[in-house]
Amino acid sequence: MLSATDLALDYRSGQSIAHAVDTVSLSVDHGSFVGLIGPSGSGKSSLMYLLSGLKRPTRGAVAFDGQNYRDISTAGLIRLRRQRFGFVFQQHFLINYLSTLENVMVGAVKRNHDVVAFAQELLRRVGLGDKMRERPYQLSIGERQRVAVARALIHRPAVVFADEPTASLDQGTGRDVINLLADYRKDGGGSVVVVTHDPAMLTGADRVLQMRDGRLGLV
Amino acid sequence: MGKACMENPLSLWHFYLRNKRKVLPVVGILALAILGVVVTDSLLASARETAYATFGSYQKLILVAPRATRDQDLANPLQDSLTRLHEVQLQVDALDGPGGISSYYNAVIALPAQVRAQLPAVQQLQVDAANARYYAARLRGDLVPLADLIVRVQRLQSEQKAFDELVRTLTQNPNDPRPLISYLQQHQTWLHSILPDAAQLGRLQAAVTNASSDAAGLQQSLQAMNRDTANLNAAGRSVADIPIPPSPSATIDQFKATLDRLTSSLGAIQAPQPGLDKLVADSERIPGTTFVKRDAYSNLDINLLAGNAQFDLYGLDQPGMTQLLSLYNDRVITGRLPRADANEIAISEEIARSRNVWVGGKVGNAIDELDRLPDTFTVVGIIRGPTRLGLIPLDYMTQHYLFERRYQGLVVVPQAGQEQAVHDQVQRLIGDSAFRMFDWPYIKGKIDSLIANLDTINHFLILLVTIVLALVVGLLNNLFFRQRMNEFGLLAAVGYSRWGLVLRVAWESLGVTVAAWLLGVGLGVAVLSWFNVSFMLPHGLLMNIFDWNVLALHTLPIPLMVFLFGMGTVAWQLLRLDPISIIERRD
Repeated sequence: MLSATDLALDYRSGQSIAHAVDTVSLSVDHGSFVGLIGPSGSGKSSLMYLLSGLKRPTRGAVAFDGQNYRDISTAGLIRLRRQRFGFVFQQHFLINYLSTLENVMVGAVKRNHDVVAFAQELLRRVGLGDKMRERPYQLSIGERQRVAVARALIHRPAVVFADEPTASLDQGTGRDVINLLADYRKDGGGSVVVVTHDPAMLTGADRVLQMRDGRLGLV
Repeated sequence: MGKACMENPLSLWHFYLRNKRKVLPVVGILALAILGVVVTDSLLASARETAYATFGSYQKLILVAPRATRDQDLANPLQDSLTRLHEVQLQVDALDGPGGISSYYNAVIALPAQVRAQLPAVQQLQVDAANARYYAARLRGDLVPLADLIVRVQRLQSEQKAFDELVRTLTQNPNDPRPLISYLQQHQTWLHSILPDAAQLGRLQAAVTNASSDAAGLQQSLQAMNRDTANLNAAGRSVADIPIPPSPSATIDQFKATLDRLTSSLGAIQAPQPGLDKLVADSERIPGTTFVKRDAYSNLDINLLAGNAQFDLYGLDQPGMTQLLSLYNDRVITGRLPRADANEIAISEEIARSRNVWVGGKVGNAIDELDRLPDTFTVVGIIRGPTRLGLIPLDYMTQHYLFERRYQGLVVVPQAGQEQAVHDQVQRLIGDSAFRMFDWPYIKGKIDSLIANLDTINHFLILLVTIVLALVVGLLNNLFFRQRMNEFGLLAAVGYSRWGLVLRVAWESLGVTVAAWLLGVGLGVAVLSWFNVSFMLPHGLLMNIFDWNVLALHTLPIPLMVFLFGMGTVAWQLLRLDPISIIERRD
């Protein structure tokens, strides 16, 4: 479903060139849980940005459902991210003036009563059924991240990209968040790509890939 | 709405409701600025409209008035009169000096004293004459017996004649004794009648004695009178020698001539401008003229909000007043028009309100020193209609006041559509003479030029406010945007397009500015309505509260500039937004 071929991302700094991603090829099948681990600066987040269309590669190709990103316009890529992908970042990026439920609805593509009901269902699933009207600043950090997960899932994305979703959480809370993503995959929602530096969080992954110096290898 | 917000948490209402604390201050600041613009702009427009209305009578007439100002016009004749007056003063001094009336008077009043010095001689003559009369009277008394004696003597003389006749008769006829006998008989009787007795002889003797004495007294008196006559002759010579003062008539004639020149000079001041009569007559013959009237115009001082102004009063005759009212479709709603021979005035109700007077009230220089209308005039009529008018009587003005007589002008009322043609004709008639025209284009130009300065200041202030507000609100907008950077970063990352975000921010800003604009304009209308009722109307000032030029066009630059500046800077940042840099930020 999602594939990368000889993917490379270079950063030019004066005369020197840094290879953030260096000739990486991989595929993420539908319904799979792929983990990307590696030390800081290894290029795992960059790889995720390339896969999700947030960045254009220097070389190589990324394709989703057989369509090469190179053949998709910027607007098309944005639409793709909006409609088919879900994102969870290290920070929750919740909008402070919106309630929990409304923050979840921010991720919705269609907005109707059914979607609202689904958002409520998602919040109940992540354990925040009683805090739908709370504002982000009234929630704990773990709760906020769970809301972010619900926001990433509200439009039932084909792929959920999670970039260090547990970095700012304690072990238990981090585990809960990963489990939510894993449950989405199990429930047939779609694929999950999790970037983390903590291998312990990827115990349920179908595949864990190691990034080092921009290159990819199996763990 | 709650459900809609739930379904679309990024709706504008949601944004505004959840960000009241940030939005309302901006709305408030903008609304207050717009309120300020509405109020100042409306007051300025009001000043202009009130000025137009105050001088609106010029829209249908042409005023022709002496060209020169009073100072310029009066400088020469007054200087001339002062010179003449100085000459009169010199002549008055001459009248008081040698050869003048004063010295003549002094010489004349000295004459009686000099004459009185001769009185003793006269008095002595009087005494002596009285004595003479006394002795003469006495002598006349003394002569009574003598007169009797004289009668007797005269009888004796006639007896002698009779005796002589007897002698002649006896001589002629000595034989006839009858004449002798007759004579003797008659002579005996007669002698008895004329021969005095002893008493008579005594009285006669006494009378002779007295007469002698009185004659002596009379002689002495006559001698004294002779002396007195000599004295009187001497006195007469003295009186004749008294100097007669020279006649002051030459000096008086000079004085009269000088006074005549002064009178003539002063007369030139109080006469109307030369050529006025001809101008009136010629103007009446201009084709397309409705009517022409002499005008002893004057002014009342009124407040026009942008400053005080002189409201023109027309000094017309009675028919002229009626014609002018009819021309403007005005009418007297209270009281009546002024009488020709009275210090009365009829004014439009707005002007009356402006001056805080009504029928029976007083206006004029004695009430308000800024009024050109002299003394005190009683308001006898209130005029209502589309055009503001003030009417005063021509006759009273020209008969009682120098300036109003000298500076008479005329009003020329063109027929509709003939304004320019009549204007040109009147201009041609005036030529280089000491008159000038005041018509609507001129008056309007003057008003506009006066307001133009205020307009410039106002526009500058609006520009300043707009710039400051654009900077302040733009800064606030940017600060607010910075606070929402995570929001925009997330939305960009999860698939909201940059232009979509720009549009969203644009709508947010537009809503704020439109709300502020509506609130500011609404507040402006409310404030102006209150001000209109509480101040403008009572003072006869005009205000168009719903002046769309002011409410719409003049206030729009502020929200527009604020929107464009605030939105522009945010849009520029949004379009350059890199969501990854926000995602990777660790703050």
